[in-house]
Amino acid sequence: MRLTMMPGAVGAVTLATALALTGCSAGAGAAGGAGTQAAHSTGDTAATTSTLGGTITAGGSSAQANAQAAWTAAFQAQAHGVTINYDKSQGSGGGVVNWLNGSYDFAGTDAGLTPAQQKQSQSMCGAGGALNLPVYLSGVAVVYHLPGVTLRLTSATVAKIFTKKITRWNDPAIAADNPGQKLPDESITVVSRSDASGTTANFTNYLHQVQPKLWPYPASTTWPVKGTSGQQGGSGVVGTVLSGKGTIGYADHSSIGQAASAAIQVGSGSTFVGYSPRGATRAFDTAARPAPQTSGDLFTDIDYTKITSANAYPIPLLSYDVVCTRLASPAQAKLTAAYLSFVASDTGQKVAAKNAGSAPLPASIQRQIAHSLASVK
Amino acid sequence: MTTTPTMTAPHRVPRPGEGRPEPGRRRAGDTVFRWLTTGSAASIIAILAGVTVFLIVTALPALTADWRTAPALAGGTTGGVGSFWRYVAPLLWGTAWSSLLALILGTPVALGIALYVSHYAPRPLRRGLGYLIDLLAAVPSVVFGLWGIFVLRPAILPLQDWLNHNLSWIPLFAGPVSKTGSTMLAAAIILAVMIIPIISSIAREIFAQTPRLHEEAALALGATRWEMIRLAVLPQARRGIVSATLLGLGRALGETMAVALILSPSLLFSVKILTDTANPQTVAANLALNFPESTPLQRDALIATGLVLFIISFAVNALGRLVAGRAETGRRKRGAA
Repeated sequence: MRLTMMPGAVGAVTLATALALTGCSAGAGAAGGAGTQAAHSTGDTAATTSTLGGTITAGGSSAQANAQAAWTAAFQAQAHGVTINYDKSQGSGGGVVNWLNGSYDFAGTDAGLTPAQQKQSQSMCGAGGALNLPVYLSGVAVVYHLPGVTLRLTSATVAKIFTKKITRWNDPAIAADNPGQKLPDESITVVSRSDASGTTANFTNYLHQVQPKLWPYPASTTWPVKGTSGQQGGSGVVGTVLSGKGTIGYADHSSIGQAASAAIQVGSGSTFVGYSPRGATRAFDTAARPAPQTSGDLFTDIDYTKITSANAYPIPLLSYDVVCTRLASPAQAKLTAAYLSFVASDTGQKVAAKNAGSAPLPASIQRQIAHSLASVK
Repeated sequence: MTTTPTMTAPHRVPRPGEGRPEPGRRRAGDTVFRWLTTGSAASIIAILAGVTVFLIVTALPALTADWRTAPALAGGTTGGVGSFWRYVAPLLWGTAWSSLLALILGTPVALGIALYVSHYAPRPLRRGLGYLIDLLAAVPSVVFGLWGIFVLRPAILPLQDWLNHNLSWIPLFAGPVSKTGSTMLAAAIILAVMIIPIISSIAREIFAQTPRLHEEAALALGATRWEMIRLAVLPQARRGIVSATLLGLGRALGETMAVALILSPSLLFSVKILTDTANPQTVAANLALNFPESTPLQRDALIATGLVLFIISFAVNALGRLVAGRAETGRRKRGAA
């Protein structure tokens, strides 16, 4: 390291970072190697998509990243002239900001647009505003590392563990949820996200709705409880839970890998349900409360307290793609709508379920998305 | 010796225009090259000025906003923080604390390496060791971060338990001790590893500059090798060591990825290094972790924290330069006398 080179090195690093970022966004489209194998089943859309050409630029939610990679690969297998760049490094918030700047054709966001953002979008999208399309459904898994224990947790116990009111694994409340299980006399290490995240927003929203007394914090993208072990990214949480002892955390189920996840109480009864894609779809079916912001908008509030069926997983995770009703050119609108129609189609949902571990959307929502996309001009 | 152009030459560097064979004529290549170098030098100033202006302009909305009432600052990373200074102060503490720990851990090792290479290692080994150290500087910080997560974190768990068990009466080692290893100690060790190559390669060059006559004089007076180093090498290198350390500090202050990956952060003041529930966050890692999910005004606030870090790093680097420069002139004066 030479002193005289320091200022020059700073410049070089900046340039290299810029190049690396460009490389990332361009690489995201090609990353879905696994998606291509599923693409063979998408022959039905081939006739309409094979004539398309152009580039779709998008970005946002990292929860959708694997699904977007699979969708991109499957879609490009049909439409060879199309390039799709989905930049997951932006996160939900960054995706919406870039989309509002006009840089993106659509944005992926776990939170959907706020009313203020919807209003702001009208300067770009025209009077028709923007559409929130729920395209990605999964579940928030409560992962833990406790060898030999298969954990079941009531929502109250989850709230108490994650607020650090319960600090040891052999606490009577956990024991009551798990009759017959041998719980160790060990302290609990709660692992949370250190970065702002849509998974945290979904999880805190769930806790605030079902246990407002035990969990007084409103839904938030940043983790509200002090004194937890904060880790970067869903993979950071899962990795730390797996490598620690007596750890517990939360993550998008599609990213938990080999980690064990707890069965969670549905409603207030004594039924505990583990995550399954079918369970997430079922939960969405019963808990979805349409809250349209514009005509054709599919923004959906999830009422977690309505999830009481023994077939439904109690913490579904929903993520949107946001698109204008009017794009810069008709050709771009046609291209973007074609891609999003594929994403929300039965085939698209199956591709994501297979390659990204997400849950297929109910058929009724798929039809509604197709209907809404018809208005994108 | 290649540390700075001014340090390079014991003889005087010819001024531009001096020593040209024919004063009236200029070759085209000379002119082109001169403008190329001038352009490069100017671009650095332009880039630095551009960055400064960008930081100030983008930071202004957050600096002037009312943090108690602005709805865009109510949630997320800035939620419940009364003012910008309350937000940035714990971050600055975290940055300073992690860097200080890294210096305490890293500097002695770095100087040891440098002394070994310059005065102890057999000649064939010197070059190889020097290359290895420079190679360490080229490892991307995300690689250090991943190494920290998968190797260092589990490895230091027993050490942390031992420190806490035996020394918990010192606030530094107070509990609750972490079971995940995402501690300030782990972050400081990673930072120390990252600043070692910077400090040791500069220190190496400075130690190698020790006048041969001084060393031989010390040895001739019957000094052992260590006494020779103490009498002849270290005194003349003192300021060089300080400036090397300050440059290492500059690296530690701005380190982002490795800290973001390893440390379990909170927005608070703390000196505990064995816990993962109360670690002060650093400016750079906080920026990287929260930027994506922030509102535009929160982004401005994060950039404002970056501006504060920029100013501090700039000051540290300038101080390092100043000390290095004075070391050089001091050495020359002594040499001349």
